[in-house]
Amino acid sequence: MNRRNFFSVGLGVLALSVVPSTLSAANFRETMPKAWTASKVDSAMQEVFGSSTTINSKVKLKAPDIAENGAVIPLTVSSKLAGSKVAIFQDANPESTVAVFTVPENGIIDYSIRIKMQKTGNVYAVVESEGKLYAASKVVKVTIGGCGG
Amino acid sequence: MAKKTRIKAKLKKGIVTVKALANHEMLSYREAKSKKKDVNFITYMTAKVNDKIVYEVSTSQFLSKNPYIKFKFKGAQKGDKVVITWNDLKGTTQESTGKIK
Repeated sequence: MNRRNFFSVGLGVLALSVVPSTLSAANFRETMPKAWTASKVDSAMQEVFGSSTTINSKVKLKAPDIAENGAVIPLTVSSKLAGSKVAIFQDANPESTVAVFTVPENGIIDYSIRIKMQKTGNVYAVVESEGKLYAASKVVKVTIGGCGG
Repeated sequence: MAKKTRIKAKLKKGIVTVKALANHEMLSYREAKSKKKDVNFITYMTAKVNDKIVYEVSTSQFLSKNPYIKFKFKGAQKGDKVVITWNDLKGTTQESTGKIK
């Protein structure tokens, strides 16, 4: 092996080691722009997961029953599933999709986030695991809207 | 330049819990209109430890102002650095670092 060959082999290895980490990175705002303008939960789910058939189990969604302030609603989604994607939707705001998480290797599905809702509505958490969709939903009553309405 | 994201990361029984508070106005279309400001919100956020992604989320305008996030992951050591990066609608990128305790 001459020096030039050695160098190209080294580069190849480097490229290989870099690829997997970039593969897992996906900015869903770029890869699925339609999901962010969908005004119905069903159609948003279709855009994100390609299906809106869900199984109502194995996902835990923690949210307050009554949110005094719609500007700050704490949510926690947790699941023991080996999921690959987690999404949060709601039907109170003009658009449905709130957030889409990619579960990386070593990741644990236990995400807390704060969202705002302009009125009372349902919050949906969906976890994709081995091609199936598991979901949980909860009604959150909002007494003061949080979308500046 | 806006304030940095506040990061707290703790290792317990092999699981790292990260709490982070990003500093961002998160103006939705409606809020921006009533405040006569431009729409702007964080659209994409990642957390990396040792150049490996441990958290990744694409977000909409419905996150609260100064978004707070919490997440857990395995496979990191004490003293490792958590790097949280966000991008917003206007193309601003901010990177903040926190240490795992």
